[in-house]
Amino acid sequence: MRYLKTMKRLYINSLLVFGIFFSSAQTTDDHEYQIKAAFLFNFAQFVEWPANALPETKAPLVIGILGENPFSTYLEEIISGERVNGHPLVVQQYKNVEEITTCHILFINLAETDKLEQAITSLKARSILTVSDNSNFIKQGGMVRFIRKNNKIQIQINPEPAKEANLIISSKLLRVAEIVH
Amino acid sequence: MDHNLVDVLLVEDNSHEAELTIRELKKHHIANNIFHVKDGEEALDFIFGVEQFAGTRDIQRPPKLILLDIHMPKVNGIEVLQTIKTDERTRSIPVVMLTSSKEDPDIRRCYALGVNSYIVKPVDFIRFADAIKNLGFYWLLLNQLPA
Amino acid sequence: MPIQKKLMRVILLISGIMLFITSSAFFIYEFYAFRQTALQKLSTVGNVIATNSTAALAFDNHEDAYEILLALKTEPQIIAASLYDKKGNLFSHYPANLAINNFPVSPGVNGFRFSVSHLEGFEPVLEGKRQLGTLYLKSDLEDMYERLRLYGTITISVITLSLLLAYLLSKILQKSISKPILALAETTKSISDKGDYSQRAVKSGEDELGWLTDGFNHMLEQIEKQNLLLNEFNQDLENKIKVRTAQLETVNNELESFSYSISHDLRAPLRTIIGFATMLEENFSGKLDDEANRITSVIKINALKMGDLIDDLLSFSRIGRQEIKKTRINTIEMVRQVITESAIPNNKAGIDWAIESLPDSKGDPNTIRQVWINLISNAVKYSRNNSQQRIEIGSFINIDKDQQVFFIRDNGIGFNEKYKHKLFKVFQRLHSADEFEGTGVGLAIVEKVISKHGGAVWVEAAVGKGACFYFSLPI
Repeated sequence: MRYLKTMKRLYINSLLVFGIFFSSAQTTDDHEYQIKAAFLFNFAQFVEWPANALPETKAPLVIGILGENPFSTYLEEIISGERVNGHPLVVQQYKNVEEITTCHILFINLAETDKLEQAITSLKARSILTVSDNSNFIKQGGMVRFIRKNNKIQIQINPEPAKEANLIISSKLLRVAEIVH
Repeated sequence: MDHNLVDVLLVEDNSHEAELTIRELKKHHIANNIFHVKDGEEALDFIFGVEQFAGTRDIQRPPKLILLDIHMPKVNGIEVLQTIKTDERTRSIPVVMLTSSKEDPDIRRCYALGVNSYIVKPVDFIRFADAIKNLGFYWLLLNQLPA
Repeated sequence: MPIQKKLMRVILLISGIMLFITSSAFFIYEFYAFRQTALQKLSTVGNVIATNSTAALAFDNHEDAYEILLALKTEPQIIAASLYDKKGNLFSHYPANLAINNFPVSPGVNGFRFSVSHLEGFEPVLEGKRQLGTLYLKSDLEDMYERLRLYGTITISVITLSLLLAYLLSKILQKSISKPILALAETTKSISDKGDYSQRAVKSGEDELGWLTDGFNHMLEQIEKQNLLLNEFNQDLENKIKVRTAQLETVNNELESFSYSISHDLRAPLRTIIGFATMLEENFSGKLDDEANRITSVIKINALKMGDLIDDLLSFSRIGRQEIKKTRINTIEMVRQVITESAIPNNKAGIDWAIESLPDSKGDPNTIRQVWINLISNAVKYSRNNSQQRIEIGSFINIDKDQQVFFIRDNGIGFNEKYKHKLFKVFQRLHSADEFEGTGVGLAIVEKVISKHGGAVWVEAAVGKGACFYFSLPI
């Protein structure tokens, strides 16, 4: 028994060491997405969804990722056990737009521009906060964009589509962000 | 007695006292001729040679000494003194008051009138006798009388 | 301290204390109110800043965080502010130029507290229920102190003015109390200085002071009345005394001239008797037989005796009526003189005089001299039959009765003590005239003189052993 346990520990430790070697190469990127994950989570606190989006307190607040998941496990870690205004948080992975049912914050990680546009358009009527890294995101009707400036992650927000989607973005958030149209 | 050869004229109303006085004067032979009168009136008559003494008395030849009591009937001693001393003819006769009065007013009055001496009669007989003797000696023997 | 000052002091003290307590109370209240206000203000500011900085912290926006803190410029009393992220690391600080070490390293306990010179504390930056970080604020208390200073100045000014006003008012108003009192005191003093009880105090008001004044005036009236009565009484007494004295003087004078004239008039015939008896003796003793001579002698002797009697009586009477004037007497000198004058005729040479040193005494010289004369001549007379005549004269002090006692002791014939009560009476003799001449007045005179001096006379004697006469004089 004891022999087994010790072996398990050794195994895990070596994995970690391995993992650390690996992760250090991707530190900047991982760290970036860690922060973005935190931001996504924080958006939940600075945005107000209409009542029909979150009908009851128990209704989960869904953070969706459309496309590849760049956050690895960060997002899950961050939201784990947390509640925003009483709503539990859930992370959902979507491959395409049609899969999206209930979602509140959507991180669109699509490289192709037309796919991106398509996605944005089909999400228009729904009360989903669209977030992306894509440089054309705002131009294409996206709401929130992460940009990197001075080695820091900053936010660009276009409040109009958000308004059209019946989303109320807190002025506090608007303040920290760069407002673009 | 020759009324003009009198040593002492004794003017005293009390005859017993007069007797004692005369006796003392005669003792020790101080005086020989002593004439005694009993009141002031008689004294003045004698001195001025008037009335009963008109014939016998010469005013120019007075007694050597007059012993004069004060309290006497008719004319008292002070009146007699006054009369004697205010009259030119009799003024120089030595007058000695010999009286029992030691009243100050009497004494003053007599001196004011020019009395030569004032003797208060001692009540003690021995002293009285002594006083008479002394005054006799003084006035009749020691004292110088005018001629 | 004068009453006015006392009143002023009381009033000012009370006013001052009241003002002070009131002002202090308000001041202290204000102080705490200020503190509360400052605390609340800072809390509020903290709240606002914290609320505003949630997004900055959430989205790691340092610039925005700094801008938010910069808004604190409008609150000049806030001298330092900093934001800490979720992990407690310093996120942003204000002012930018203030060194990092002026800010706490990590967030401390929530809430704002007063330190010595500052108000500082931490406010959690919350979005909903989630703490995104912590805000630190540090405020100086300058404006609070400024206000307190202002408040203090105002308070002191008000207190000073109030005290001044209190002083002026009380100066005027205390008169209503002190004036009547002072007037009363003044009157009292004036009365006691001048002794003039006809003065009255002026009454002002119907209060207790008024009663006091009334009572006082009433008392004065009484005193005046009593004084008047006393004076009248005194005057009356004086008059009575004058009258009595005049009467007494008159009586005295009458008695005196009466005694004098009696003695004088009595003595004139005596003189004559003695004179004539002497005449008999001197001129006729040879012519008379022995019997006649004896008779003459008897006549003379008795006449002489009568003279003595008259003299002694006159003396006794006079002494009884005279005032004695006490002065210091050189006793031994007086005694010596008396002995010389009276004893020589009585064969002084044969007498053994034992005279102690005699202290000075206090008495009337003339009459005391008479006492010594009488006593010494008695001593000489009654001891002359003793071949070894001895006369002692001495003195001692009787402390109990505060008196000097003198004594004359002779070793003469003495007498039976059972008759001694008769001795000092007039004309009383214990020996026959054949044995010893004398009128019996001498000792009566001694007794009268000594008792007039406040002393006493007494004697000790025995038949054949002589007598000792004592007399005392107050010291």
